[in-house]
Amino acid sequence: MDWGKVRFFLGEVLRNFTRNASMQATAIGTVAITIVLLGLFLFVRAALAGMGAHLLDQIEISAYLANDATAAQVTSIRHLLAADPRVASADFVSKKQGLTELRDRTKGVIDTALLTENPLPDKFRIKVRVPEEVPAVAASVRRLRGVQNVVYGQTIVQRLLQLGVVLRRVGIGVIIVFLAVAGIIISNTIRLTVFARRREIAIMQLVGATNLYIRIPFICEGLLDGLAGSLLAVAILAIARATLWPKLLEALPWIQLNVTALNPGVLVAELVLVGGAVGVVASWISVGRHLRT
Amino acid sequence: MISLRNVSLVYPNGVHALDKVNFEIAKGEFVFLVGHSGTGKSSLLRLLYREARPSTGEITVDGIRVDRLRRRRVPALRRHLGVVFQDFKLLTDKTVWENVAFAMQVTGAHTRDVMRQVPRVLDLVGLSHKSRMYPGELSGGEQQRSAIARALVNNPKILLCDEPTGNLDPSNTSEVMELLLRINLKGTTVVVATHNQAVVDRMRRRVVRLEDGRIVTDEERGYYYLGLGQGQILSG
Repeated sequence: MDWGKVRFFLGEVLRNFTRNASMQATAIGTVAITIVLLGLFLFVRAALAGMGAHLLDQIEISAYLANDATAAQVTSIRHLLAADPRVASADFVSKKQGLTELRDRTKGVIDTALLTENPLPDKFRIKVRVPEEVPAVAASVRRLRGVQNVVYGQTIVQRLLQLGVVLRRVGIGVIIVFLAVAGIIISNTIRLTVFARRREIAIMQLVGATNLYIRIPFICEGLLDGLAGSLLAVAILAIARATLWPKLLEALPWIQLNVTALNPGVLVAELVLVGGAVGVVASWISVGRHLRT
Repeated sequence: MISLRNVSLVYPNGVHALDKVNFEIAKGEFVFLVGHSGTGKSSLLRLLYREARPSTGEITVDGIRVDRLRRRRVPALRRHLGVVFQDFKLLTDKTVWENVAFAMQVTGAHTRDVMRQVPRVLDLVGLSHKSRMYPGELSGGEQQRSAIARALVNNPKILLCDEPTGNLDPSNTSEVMELLLRINLKGTTVVVATHNQAVVDRMRRRVVRLEDGRIVTDEERGYYYLGLGQGQILSG
């Protein structure tokens, strides 16, 4: 190992990096902002996916029974549901049980003590294995004798999921635009340092340095920009996670935020990798452009 | 060592920089390329180190067909050549030592070789005692000697000089020319493009004269002006 060579090389990279400090700061800042947005986007996407899965999981059909339904009808419905392969579970919820659940759910919001009688009918709570089959199951249940009404929240769930898809697409578009912007700014930064060092590059070419040798310090510079920016972004995200996240949970208790699927280690690795890659690609392109002319 | 056959160079704007140039330079020669500014001296040198490519013609430098040389191969050619310019092209934020070492370091030389070779060339150009100084702290002649040291550090067989004394006063000029002569005596082929009449007339070396991109005369032990003795100056 030729340590003198290594020292020379690192010295050159460091000299470059510190020479144009304000430009480097701009590049690093842009990368940081982009990566923060990317991180937020990945986070929101995970949250939406979690929310969607949670909602899908919660889809259930309520088959309300007629008040005059006979015990035989109830038993027959129970058997039919148990025999249906599409049905995951079917629980009988009596009027009384229904009211208790309602009381629990609306505690502090609606005073159910005001109710003089129980307005709820008996019902079956049906869970379907595949969400897409909910409408078909609901339709067949509605035809059963003793069933008065069938309710399920399919429409709203569908809309939520569609919203998720739309958000995801828009998010990807936004991220692509921001990565492109970060790439352009890094490549401009590198172009400025290339310009500042054009004499040096000319001399390198004159004495017979290969293009790779000329390129490497600039690539390292781009890599440093990208890595510094993404590490800064990760720090910002970590701080936000620690300070804003609990407040968000507190402020929006009704949102089922489930981001346990998001592995923080993997996320950090992804973000840093993206940052570094943007830096390398951008600097490779801008030095290449200079070397070709 | 250097050979040009029917070399023409036409710039994209239609200017004929060189027109069917033919000549040979043997190993160990010391050759002046003379002529007014814009007669193609620099263009010719640029062709030799493949900063430019000829429009037509064959150029051979140290056995390499430079006119056909692929871009990838250019660094290999340049390691056989040293090039010196009027404006020195030193890096102002590096010391003399660092400037000279730079030429080796960026071609991937081993530090051991750098440590051995740099003092050798600094000694040759007489700048050992100023190796820690920056170009801004040196005289023009010393700067040019640093640039020559850098050009020589990779042991080139050929040294190309484009107006090496253009920015120097007479005493620095003779300092630099003596150095070039000494380098030539050590066996390096030296080509100097200049329009400094005094230098050419004093040295009495081979003189290749260019006019409008053509070689008009090629004399052994020539003068700057054709057929004129020292001290005689044509007006106009």
